[in-house]
Amino acid sequence: MIAEISDLHFSYGKIKALDGISLTLGEGAVGLLGPNGAGKSTLLRILLGFLAPQRGQGRVLGFDIRLEQPQIRRHVGYMPEDDCLIPGMDAVTFTAHFGELSGMPRQEAMKRAHDVLFYVGLGESRYRLLDTYSAGMKQRLKLAQAIVHDPRLLFLDEPTSNLDPQGRKEILELIQDISSKKDIQVLISSHILGDIETVCSRVVILNRGRLAAQGNLSDLRELHYRLFEIKIRGEADGFAARIRALGCRVEETEDKLLKVHAPADFDIREVFRAAEEARCQIRHFVRSQTSLEDLFAKAVGVD
Amino acid sequence: MTIREKGYSHWDGQLLERRFPWTPITRLGIRLAFRKKYFRFIFFGSLVPAVVFLVGFYISERLEDFQFMLQGSRRILEVNPAYFKTYLSSDFLLFMIVMILVVSGAGLISDDLKHNSLQLYFARPLTKAGYLIGKASVVVFFLLLLTLVPALLFIVFKLLFAGDFRFLAAFPWLPLSVIGYSLFLTFFFCAYTLLLSCLSKNRRYVSILIFAIYLFSDILFGFFYETYKKPGFALFSLKANLQQVGAWFFRLKPAYGIPWQWSFLILLALGVSAVFVLNRKIRGVEVVK
Repeated sequence: MIAEISDLHFSYGKIKALDGISLTLGEGAVGLLGPNGAGKSTLLRILLGFLAPQRGQGRVLGFDIRLEQPQIRRHVGYMPEDDCLIPGMDAVTFTAHFGELSGMPRQEAMKRAHDVLFYVGLGESRYRLLDTYSAGMKQRLKLAQAIVHDPRLLFLDEPTSNLDPQGRKEILELIQDISSKKDIQVLISSHILGDIETVCSRVVILNRGRLAAQGNLSDLRELHYRLFEIKIRGEADGFAARIRALGCRVEETEDKLLKVHAPADFDIREVFRAAEEARCQIRHFVRSQTSLEDLFAKAVGVD
Repeated sequence: MTIREKGYSHWDGQLLERRFPWTPITRLGIRLAFRKKYFRFIFFGSLVPAVVFLVGFYISERLEDFQFMLQGSRRILEVNPAYFKTYLSSDFLLFMIVMILVVSGAGLISDDLKHNSLQLYFARPLTKAGYLIGKASVVVFFLLLLTLVPALLFIVFKLLFAGDFRFLAAFPWLPLSVIGYSLFLTFFFCAYTLLLSCLSKNRRYVSILIFAIYLFSDILFGFFYETYKKPGFALFSLKANLQQVGAWFFRLKPAYGIPWQWSFLILLALGVSAVFVLNRKIRGVEVVK
């Protein structure tokens, strides 16, 4: 268990940022989702040991979030969203510096800095001044400084922001490699749901300071609703209206494909009955995977 | 360039709990300062007065050999507490200290604010106090090298050149005065630099502020003093205030007819406001936005 928190409350004055959050973060990559103001940053601040919760308790990597905050920060890696650097430095010195600040002996930090820079793909440019780095290189550098001290838990805040498709793919590959093969647990906070879907097996969705959903992505998809892709021949509007009347959400794509979001307990035979009543012919009927976007929208209550 | 040319391997060492976790910040700050070409020139230029004063110590013990050079200026080479005060609060040394702060101190915090590095520092087991001590120690290092180290060396060389302890017997409190005033100067300039450095994300503005406030305060004093002939205007000037306090440390009469305590209070107020502003501006919790 990497983190376990129960009944966490935190308010900024009268504004409740976290309202009774309880969750357990297991192994592997976990996605932290939520609209702006959902409480993600406050939760990260508490997990990183910057804030002490006003109520509730928890442990990160076995350390108490109220009493052992420096120990938490010693054993976790944090990759912030913003571009961060120290001007006038090269990547090796920069990475080694933060390794040292985490508690690594000086020479070890330097040696390790070379290793992780090679790992993130900055081996060739590790002696270049950081001021000359591109956006993608800065992103890799942030990842390098986050893993230089070999943390057991890695917090990644928008790890693919400002990246081109190729850079994004490469960073996601690295994160996947770290989380699946290197025995480092990863918590990713991102607004790019596709990234979370690619990398994470579990998600935590927050909304207005409360836990909207958490669990394995596949389980959550099953739990909330099922998605069917249907193509029909005949009057689509009448068929769609009948399906909607049965409690399903229906979207029509440009190529006349109907996406039907059916409740978990929906009897799919109703679809065929509706087609018969609307005098339509079903030409294509496939059960599709619910996208994380749909799941997120459902969890936070937006269309 | 392909990624993962070298695979990731776990580090099998033990993370240390350092007693002074801010030391890497100080070491890095000093290294980065020495990488600047102007800084090396200014820093070593600032040591010139120390060399000149040291020569003065030698000559003061060999007055008979240097009669031809002195031509009646014996009093200049009379080594006493005033000689030390002259070194430590000379216009040139104070000006050079300000120049060092402009080059090496301006970016200490402002660069971190500009480049969002605070997030990286505070994601480590480092407190706000630790971060500030680490940054302040960079300034402390340079200023002590220019004030305390030469002044203590002066005492040692004076004793060596004289070959006896009469000087120390005459002024037994002098080492304490040297240490006290050097530390006072250092901590004042440290607070002054960090205060201004945290006010802007632009290192150039901070450099200009550090230089302009020091210079302008002195110009203001000069202007009013010349116009109204009242010594109280010395309180406007950072330099004059430092010199007034220096006079007390070396048991000398202050240069301006105002109590040294007033100058001390002004400098102290600046230091306290620096601590207050730094506490407000540097917030560890903001690292996660």
